[in-house]
Amino acid sequence: MGGAYLPDLTLVLPEGILVVTAFLILMTGVFRKSTNPQVQQRFGHVALSGLIVALGALIFYHHPAERWISFEGQLLQDDFVYLGKILILSGSAAVVGISLASMLKEHLLSFEYCALILLATVGMLLMVGANDFLSLFMGLEIQSLSLYVLVALKRDQTIASEAALKYFVLGALATCFYLYGASLMYGFSGSTNFEAIATIIRMESAGNFPLSLFMSLIFIMASFSFKISAVPFHMWTPDVYQGSPTPITAFIAATPKIAAMLVFLRLMLEPFMTLYDEWQSLVAFLSLFSMVLGAFAALRQTDLKRLLAYSAIGQMGYMLLGVVAGTDEGIQAVLIYLTLYLVMIIGTFACLLCLRGKGSYGVQNIEDLAGISTLHPKVSFALAIFMFSLAGIPPLGGFFAKLYIFKAALSAGFFGLAIAGALASVVAAYYYLKIVKVMYFDDAPKVPSASYGQIVVLPLKMALILNACALVTLLFFVFPNPILEIVQRAAFTFSG
Amino acid sequence: MTLSSSQFMSMPLKGNLEEYFNIFIFMAVAFGISLFLVLLSFWRGPKRPDAEKLSAYECGFEAFSDARLKFDVRFYLVAILFIIFDLEIAFLFPWAVSLKSIGLFGFFSMLLFLGTLGIGFVYEWRKGALEWE
Repeated sequence: MGGAYLPDLTLVLPEGILVVTAFLILMTGVFRKSTNPQVQQRFGHVALSGLIVALGALIFYHHPAERWISFEGQLLQDDFVYLGKILILSGSAAVVGISLASMLKEHLLSFEYCALILLATVGMLLMVGANDFLSLFMGLEIQSLSLYVLVALKRDQTIASEAALKYFVLGALATCFYLYGASLMYGFSGSTNFEAIATIIRMESAGNFPLSLFMSLIFIMASFSFKISAVPFHMWTPDVYQGSPTPITAFIAATPKIAAMLVFLRLMLEPFMTLYDEWQSLVAFLSLFSMVLGAFAALRQTDLKRLLAYSAIGQMGYMLLGVVAGTDEGIQAVLIYLTLYLVMIIGTFACLLCLRGKGSYGVQNIEDLAGISTLHPKVSFALAIFMFSLAGIPPLGGFFAKLYIFKAALSAGFFGLAIAGALASVVAAYYYLKIVKVMYFDDAPKVPSASYGQIVVLPLKMALILNACALVTLLFFVFPNPILEIVQRAAFTFSG
Repeated sequence: MTLSSSQFMSMPLKGNLEEYFNIFIFMAVAFGISLFLVLLSFWRGPKRPDAEKLSAYECGFEAFSDARLKFDVRFYLVAILFIIFDLEIAFLFPWAVSLKSIGLFGFFSMLLFLGTLGIGFVYEWRKGALEWE
């Protein structure tokens, strides 16, 4: 009788809170059947408070500097996972905060949106906290299925349904890759547990690894490269960014990328660490091509969201540069980059969501920003900060993020890659600065298009989040310690 | 008496097949009777063919038409909803068999799962996904 067995449930308390909130929203929503915008907004507030309570529960019950394992090794929480969960929860909360007003304007705000955001967040938390290929698969699927539905929210629009279909088909393919890789790994090691696999690979003599192990490594890497949209698995990104409604794009651009990157990092550094010599050249390839393609392909984009998609591909390339280094310094650099990237991307999307055209559209093209600096000096100043930071101009946060990455790559001996990355960031600076130039130096059009950014929707939540993001980006170089400390503790999980 | 596989393989083929002779007769008779009945209905049965009778049977559709026909999405919906609860049953069987060894925790895990599914069910019901018209 195994009746006495009960796993430590406090480990999944944040996830539990989110699931219960999502169910609550679903049930009240479906029984009230109200289309009243105020009721819909109340659901948004319930979702937001659920995320904040979950964040509180996470911080309150965290065991620092301890490997906290539950559910028979399926889930774990250490400082690395803790940092990841904080980023995901606060990122999701911020995205809900900035998206509510805009979703309402586009008649997209429904209780399903709130429930799906919560469930996607649960999936991401489980992904980051997974210690086993099976629980990782479960988290991955909860997250991706919710995201597919979110992208298809505007389903009567051709561009949105095209984006959703592309995302779904390619995402399902990536999942197949993952499953194939995981089953090969099970065939090789007889286990799905990360620690057990790490031990078994370590016992294998170097240079004598069986083919199935390599196949498994490559399949799993391919599937996560898809999730973080690294070249050559990036094709879906621009279409999905462009096709989905801007608030949803903000969500997809922010937290799922963080979750997938953290999982990629954990997989490479824990079960596959012994294979460092084998995967290092592959990750270097992904990194180099992502940086270069992200820089060059964005040059000719006129659509803002497509541009941001290519920018995201490039930024992922820089993060992968830190993974290639594989050192403690490299891991820290990736985590700092991830944190600042989250802040910058949420800030950027908050700016875009503030501005609305007359035809109730959000801004779509770069020209829609022409000359708005005189109309909305504050919002354009904030957007300029984020663009300068993404381009890596000192002394903003984005510059330090890149600095740490290049430093880590150089000290690990990857001179060529670091130089290529620096050159790519010079090219990429062109399009970030072009947005600033359009805002500040171009004249506003005589006859503004329907999507020309004019009407500012700036509710309190939005202003708060926008200011917070701008302040973190601006003042990172003055007060870097809060971020650096938590990142150091997180990186110590792997080296210590 | 049991035979090991090597003994079985070395036995002469004739002795092995003789035991199946009765079954062979049985099969021959069964085949003969059914052939006779089919031919009888061909020979004596009334034949009044029409278009519906001659076409291949397919559930709910024209057998031969443009492949790009409009297709009611509700079929998919019903199929998907069916699959979910079908899988639930497939999941319940091993749980019921092993209930003794998984104890109270296993019991409540399944209740949690069923509750989650129930919430999904209530949602689809209230949304009207189960109504055909």
